Amino acid sequence: MALYLVKRLAAAAVTAILASLIVFVLVRSVPGDVVAQMLGQTSDPTAERALREFFGLDRPMYRQYLNWLSSVLAGDLGVSWTRGHPVWQMIRDALFVTLQVGFMTLLVGTLVGVPLGVIAGIYEGRWLDRFIQSFNLIGLAAPVFWVGLMLLVGVSSLFGWSPPLLYVPPSQSLSENLAILALPIVSLGLLQAAAYSQFVRQNVVSAFHQDYVRTAIAKGVPTRIVFFRHILRNIGIPLVTFMGLILIQILGGTVIIESLFALPGLGRLLLSSIEARDYPVLQGGLLVVVLIAMTVNLAVDLLYRVIDPRVRLT
Amino acid sequence: MLDATWLKRLGRRMAASLFCLATFAGSYAAHAQDLYGPLAKSPRTGGTLTMGSLLEPPGLDPFHQGADARIRVTVLMYQGLFYESPNGDATPLLAESYTLSPNKLDYTIKLRKGVKFHTGQTMTAKDVAYSYNHIRDPKNGSPGAGDFGMVTAVTVVDDHTVKITLSEPNVTLPLTLGNKYGAVIPAGYFDAPDAKTKLNQVSVGTGPFKLAEFKPNSNLLLARNADYWEKGAPYLDQINFIFLPNSASMLVALTNKRVDLAALTRPQDVRQVERVPGLKIERWPSLNQKALDLGSEYGPLSNVGVRQAIALAVDKDEIMRASIGGFGQTIGTMVAAMQDRWGVPVTDLPNQKLDIVKAKKLLADAGHPNGLDLNLTTIIGYDWMDPAAVTLREQLAKAGIRLNIQRIDLGVWIKNFQSKQMGLTFNDWATQPDPSLLFYRHFHMTPKGADFRNWKNEAASKLLGDGRAESDPAKRKEIYARFQKELATTVPTIMLFSADHVTVRSDKVQNYVQHPTGWFYGLARTYLAQ
Repeated sequence: MALYLVKRLAAAAVTAILASLIVFVLVRSVPGDVVAQMLGQTSDPTAERALREFFGLDRPMYRQYLNWLSSVLAGDLGVSWTRGHPVWQMIRDALFVTLQVGFMTLLVGTLVGVPLGVIAGIYEGRWLDRFIQSFNLIGLAAPVFWVGLMLLVGVSSLFGWSPPLLYVPPSQSLSENLAILALPIVSLGLLQAAAYSQFVRQNVVSAFHQDYVRTAIAKGVPTRIVFFRHILRNIGIPLVTFMGLILIQILGGTVIIESLFALPGLGRLLLSSIEARDYPVLQGGLLVVVLIAMTVNLAVDLLYRVIDPRVRLT
Repeated sequence: MLDATWLKRLGRRMAASLFCLATFAGSYAAHAQDLYGPLAKSPRTGGTLTMGSLLEPPGLDPFHQGADARIRVTVLMYQGLFYESPNGDATPLLAESYTLSPNKLDYTIKLRKGVKFHTGQTMTAKDVAYSYNHIRDPKNGSPGAGDFGMVTAVTVVDDHTVKITLSEPNVTLPLTLGNKYGAVIPAGYFDAPDAKTKLNQVSVGTGPFKLAEFKPNSNLLLARNADYWEKGAPYLDQINFIFLPNSASMLVALTNKRVDLAALTRPQDVRQVERVPGLKIERWPSLNQKALDLGSEYGPLSNVGVRQAIALAVDKDEIMRASIGGFGQTIGTMVAAMQDRWGVPVTDLPNQKLDIVKAKKLLADAGHPNGLDLNLTTIIGYDWMDPAAVTLREQLAKAGIRLNIQRIDLGVWIKNFQSKQMGLTFNDWATQPDPSLLFYRHFHMTPKGADFRNWKNEAASKLLGDGRAESDPAKRKEIYARFQKELATTVPTIMLFSADHVTVRSDKVQNYVQHPTGWFYGLARTYLAQ
C-alpha cells in the first residue's frame, strides 16, 4: 500500500509538471496579452515595451516558465497582474465556493439519484420505473444553464424573490449562504440526480440477472439481505468511479452556473482571467484544477480497496 | 434687517466676480456648482447604494489601466485638475484657476487649497508635478502617455501653483488634465515596487469616495471620503458595485430591488423592465460611437471609390434599429452628445444618403463591375455587432458587395487595430467632449497621430493641427467643420450611430445624472430617498 502510494504520488508529480508546461504554453498561445488589454486601442510603443518589461513578458518563454515553476515549487503562485491580489488567496477563496457547490451538488445528486435508481431497478418495466426514467431523460437532456435560468426567472416571477447577490461564507451566516446557493445547487443537483439514477438503475437491473443473485433468492435469502449484501455492494465500485468522474465534471463545469448565479467561484475566476489575459491566475488556477482531478482519482482508487478488500493496489 | 456676515459674504462674492470679469481674457475660474452634476436641493445623506454592473474593471490603477470599465468607477476616487463638463468645458476641479501665456505655450495653474489625499496627506504642487511627469514618461508604461505628448515640462512654481509648458499650442490641455489619465496622487507613490498592484486594495486619490473593498468577480465597495474638500458632498455613505456576469441575473435583481441602479445596453433588457413598478428608465446622450472602419491597407479599400460606394449603400437607421432597438441616434461625423456644439448637419455632408445606383457606378468605376467580396470582422461579446453585421451584409448585397463576417476575440481585434491591419471592421469607441480629443490621435498622420485606418490624408492632418492650436471657439468650429466634410468625402470610417446611455433606477435613487462619457460622476451627487 505504501509503495503504491509513493508510486502514485511520483507519477502525479510528473503529470503535474507536464500539465503545468501545457497550461503555460496554452495560455500564451491565445492572441493578445495583458499589455494589449491594459493599453486598449491607442497604445504607445514605448509604454507597451515598458509594461512588457514590468510583467516579464519581454523574456524568452522558457525563462518565464522556469521562473514561474521555481516560484510555484517554493509555494508562491505570484500576484494577479490585473487585480493585484496574491494568486493563491484568490484561488483559495474561489475554490471554497466551487467546492461547496460541488460537494453539496454531489450530496443532493446522491441522496435523490441513488434511491431513484434503486427503485427504478427493483420495479423494472413497471410504471414507476417508466416515470423515473422519464425524469432521468429530461435531466440528462436539459442543459444546466436552461434549468438554472428557468429556476431563477420562475422563482422570481412566482414568489418575487431572488438569491442575494453577494456570496457569504457559511461561517458568517449559514442561512444566507444557503439562500445564495439553493438555486444553483438545485439546478446542478437535479441534473446529477438524473445521471446517478440512470447509472444505478442499469447496475441494479444487471445485478438482478446475475447467477449469484438468482442463487441467493432461490436459497430463500430475504430480499433485503440480497439487495444490501449482494447487489448494492457489487455496484459500489462502479458507483464510486462514477461519483469521482461526476465530481471532476462538476468542478470543471460550474463556470456556467457560477456565471448565471453570480457566484465568485473558480470557474468564473478562470473565465475572467482568460478575458484579462491574467497569466498568473490562469496558470495557478488550472494547475489547482489538475491537482484536484488527480487527488480525486487517487481517492477513488483507494476507496476501491475499502469497498472490496480483494482489490489489490499495485 | 441685513446680517453683517451676509453683507461681508456678498462683498467677497462681488469682488470675486469683478476679478473674474477683469481677468477673463487670460484666466478661468472655478464653478463648483457645475461639478459632477447638479447639487441636490434637499438631499438625504447616508445609506448604501447598490449598483449593478455587467462590466467589471480589470484593475483600478488610474495610471496604467486603460479600460473604460476602470475609468467609469475610478473617477469617484481620483481627480484631475479639471472636470470634463458634459458640454465640453474644462471646469477647474483640483485647480482653482489658470492663466495662459500670450504664446499659448505656458499654462500657469493655481491649485485648490485644503485638498487631502485618501492617505491623509495634503495635496501640493509637488504632487501634481509628480503625477503628470510620471504619466507622460512613456517608460512608466501608461496608456495616457500619448495624451501628454505635447507637454515638455511640468514644474512647481510654489506650493499651490504649477506651470505646464507645451511644445506647441494645444487648447485641449485642460481636458487632458481631467479624470481619464489626469489623476493626482501623492508624490513618490510609484517608488514602491508593489505600488501598481496595491491600487486595487487602497485608493490614494482625492475623490469623494475611497476604496473600501475590491473582490474579483464579486463587488467593489466605495466608502464616503470624510475629508473630501467639497463641503456637504457626497451624500451617500457607500456605493456597492455588484458585478453580474449576465443580463438575466441583472434583470431579476432589478425586479426584486436587490439592485438600486444599473446601466443597460441591450434593448431587449430595457424592454423587460419597462413595466416593473418602482423602476424608472432614463435615456442620456452619449459620446460613444459605433462605427464601420475602413482600413486602407485592405486591398479594395485603398480605393476611395470603393469606400464611398460602401458609405452610399449603408442605411444607418436600419442598422441602429436592428442592433440597439432604436435606443440611440444615427450620426454623420460627430458623436451625438457633441453634435449641437461641433457637428455639421448631416444634410451638408456628402455620402450620407442611401444611393444604391451611385454605389454600383462607383464600384464599376473602381474596377468592380460585378461587385466584390469583402471580409468584415466583428468582436465577440459586443452584442450590437452581430445583428448589425447581418443587416449590413443585406444592405451591401444590394450594391453587389458580398460580405463575409468573421467574429474574433477582443484581444485579437486590439492586436490587429494597433498594428493597423484592421481592414473592414466594426468599432466601438468613445471620446471626451472635444473634437480634437475625438479625432486627432485616430486620424492624424503618423508620427503625431496614429492614423489607425491608414488614411494618410495630409489636408485632414493639417486641419487637425490647426484645430488643436486654435483657441477661438468660432474658428475652431469652422476648422472642424472642414475636417468633417473631408472625413465624409473620403470615408476612412463611417460613423453609424451613438447608443444612448440607458439607466434603470429604483424610485428611491434621487438626483442621478449620467455623464455622456458613461463614467459614473453622477454618483457623487446621488442620494437615497427614504
